[in-house]
Amino acid sequence: MSETTNDASANAGIDLSQFFQIFFEEAGENLESMEHKLLALDIGQPDDEELNAIFRCAHSVKGGAATFGFSDVAELTHQMETLLDKLRRHELSPTAAMVDVLLASGDALKAQLARHQGNGAGPIDTGNLLVTIRRQLDGEPTAPVAPVAPVAPVAPVAPMKAAAASAVSVVAPSASSAGSEAKPVAAPARPGIRLLELTVGPLPDPSTADSLAELFKEITDLGTIEPLDAGRDADGMRRFKVATLSSDNDLIDLFGFHVAREHIRLTALTDGYGFHEGAPGAPAATKPSAELGYGFFDDAPGAPGTTDADEPGGAGGAGGAGSASAATAAASLAGRPVAAAAAAAVAPRAEKTAAAAAESSTLRVGVDKVDQLINLVGELVITQAMLAQNGKGVDAALYQQLAAGLADLERNTRDLQEAVMSIRMIPMSLVFNRFPRMLRDLAAKLGKKVEMVQVGESTELDKGLVEKITDPLTHLVRNSCDHGIELPAERMAKGKPEHGTITLIATHQGGSIVIEVRDDGKGLNRGKLLQKARERGLDAPDTMTDSEVYSLIFAPGFSTAEVVTDVSGRGVGMDVVKKNITALGGTVEIDSAEGYGMTVRVRLPLTLAIMDGMSVGVGEECYILPLSSVVESFQVKPGIVKTIGGSGRVVEVRDEYMPVVDLERIFQVPRFDFEKSSNIMVVVEAEGGRVALLVDELLGQQQVVVKNLESNYRKVDDVSGATIMGDGRVALILDIGSLVRRSRH
Amino acid sequence: MHSILAVDDSASMRQMVSFTLKNAGFNVVEAVDGQDALEKANSRDFNLVLTDQNMPRMDGISLTKKLRENPKFKATPILILTTESSDQMKQAGRAAGATGWLVKPFDPAKLVEVIGKVIR
Repeated sequence: MSETTNDASANAGIDLSQFFQIFFEEAGENLESMEHKLLALDIGQPDDEELNAIFRCAHSVKGGAATFGFSDVAELTHQMETLLDKLRRHELSPTAAMVDVLLASGDALKAQLARHQGNGAGPIDTGNLLVTIRRQLDGEPTAPVAPVAPVAPVAPVAPMKAAAASAVSVVAPSASSAGSEAKPVAAPARPGIRLLELTVGPLPDPSTADSLAELFKEITDLGTIEPLDAGRDADGMRRFKVATLSSDNDLIDLFGFHVAREHIRLTALTDGYGFHEGAPGAPAATKPSAELGYGFFDDAPGAPGTTDADEPGGAGGAGGAGSASAATAAASLAGRPVAAAAAAAVAPRAEKTAAAAAESSTLRVGVDKVDQLINLVGELVITQAMLAQNGKGVDAALYQQLAAGLADLERNTRDLQEAVMSIRMIPMSLVFNRFPRMLRDLAAKLGKKVEMVQVGESTELDKGLVEKITDPLTHLVRNSCDHGIELPAERMAKGKPEHGTITLIATHQGGSIVIEVRDDGKGLNRGKLLQKARERGLDAPDTMTDSEVYSLIFAPGFSTAEVVTDVSGRGVGMDVVKKNITALGGTVEIDSAEGYGMTVRVRLPLTLAIMDGMSVGVGEECYILPLSSVVESFQVKPGIVKTIGGSGRVVEVRDEYMPVVDLERIFQVPRFDFEKSSNIMVVVEAEGGRVALLVDELLGQQQVVVKNLESNYRKVDDVSGATIMGDGRVALILDIGSLVRRSRH
Repeated sequence: MHSILAVDDSASMRQMVSFTLKNAGFNVVEAVDGQDALEKANSRDFNLVLTDQNMPRMDGISLTKKLRENPKFKATPILILTTESSDQMKQAGRAAGATGWLVKPFDPAKLVEVIGKVIR
């Protein structure tokens, strides 16, 4: 078979870029998973399955990156894979330094991938990482003779901008070798010998390249070199065929003395497939495997040229067109180096039984589609509520079927709503997963020893909330590590274990999720907090309860740390944390025992889209109060409301005075029926304060679909959103926090 | 139409292989690992099996061995996709009864070419 090079037909008319997105997602997942596993790795006694799983993550990223043409990613993952391969075969023992460099490489890969996706800044310099990994590989005295074989993964696609990312990148040779010269003369004779194509240039003086050829004469161990293209330099580029035992990096280091590294390319000189002679299905005349990169086994079932006679189950009907086109493709492609040369063999053994099949039964859908679905269900809930409202006036005895239908509709709507909402639910582990790594880096920076324990990471939460809770939680964890956990010596002196522990706990409680950040550090000191608060001019009487005192750390500008670090900052964070959580309709509370640690408890609604509300009537209007903020309600009796300071009014409830907020006045509610008046008070609580709302009547409790007022109309003071009631009227949802704040001024 | 069972744990590779082969006029069934492939192979017939080597649950070599135990797949071409083309790997493939190997990364045309050699 003659060998020609024809790049035009290389991809069979298939645009590989259509697979990039799924590759990016997959690579991202693999990198996350690798990081997670690396952090969990017990360096003293590594688990084989874990090492295999880590290896597979790198391996998978490499395979995809090489296939889709991200050569910088492929290059780095290849080195990582080589190291991991040695680890899983016990040729090297894992060290903390290895974990460090693998983690750092993971970060670099994420940056590279972000860059390929059009995010992120300039090129990622992975030179240091590559060198470090290589040192760790070389550091093993019992390493086999065969070189670590940085198999040059070749990009089959037109190399993307990726190629420029690293000084020495491996790229697909383009129209590299013409004619028979492309054909390797000899398959690797000894294990470890690799055939490479060396491309040098463009060079101002192409003869400089000859100095590289001279190197092979001077250093006999290096292997052999022959010029390709009959030594011509068509485009200022010189090409050589190299047979060597040395690794790519060693060669490049060596060549770098003569030619700038960026002008050197090494590519594996094989086609990447082969058949075993006589194997089932193998073609009759198969080429030496090393040339092609694929192969068929002799006498194996289905091998071409061996099957048809007695094994009809194999390759069946003759397809002249098929084989003709295949032959054309073969002719046009043979000789095109595609893949890597001999690397250390992987012992084929059964691998970890981890879950993987799940992927086949999942479907990736855009968030916008899910949101649209949720919106539509929201509309359906409203329609159903309207029907239910109207249905009340129908005589159930006369319209029994209709009543039953309405009841069914209500039940089905609720089920549908729950099912649709569950689509948006994602496990807390997506947030929690980032913390072990962050904590590891942070603890190292602070000279502390901290372990992380996670409980209930499979607890689910609405995606929108997960995104918004990530920053506050990050801050809480950092704060615990920075201000809570003591230095190892201090801990030892106190009789505590040297390692501090930060525990993250997520649990469902009713319609809320409760997330706890718990540490076993020094805890909060009541006296110190009070003193600090007074220094800051905050109102802090001695009669405050412990929990009120602890809540002082959420006050703006409050910080108890003697040393301000760049980790948790100057106390700017905690008040922002509280504000963010409150904005999500959540609450924060703190529990602490001095010397034993601190627990921050964050309570959030499961979703932002639907909430339990209490509807109250004022004049002609109806308002919704979030049920979570309602404390109690009572009838106004004459004399309990007192006027202070001219305009302010307060009410005494169980020996506690609280401001009265007259909704009728605040919202200037029109009133036509003067028979009625506001004589019911609803005590609501938010941001640590309580107010009594004056309303006409309590209408009921129901789930309401929250509609954003800002995006549909504009921001309205004291209102957090709106909803559509069963009778079709729009009701405003009150922002209790804002009402409480208003009453303070 | 020829049916091919394409086995790979990487979704992007699976999608690429599947798209390429469908484009080339084959019927393609995907499987996410050896175990999944075995289950799919039991329920229907294939003219060729194309499997990745390194997969969780069951790797390509083990899958090949298991398939060859089934009379239905005694003569079906089985190609193993691998990033290693070492002799050891090839011998393991041969011993398991594989028809041939194809080194990753490969481009779509190469895949069609190699498959064209065994499905006629």
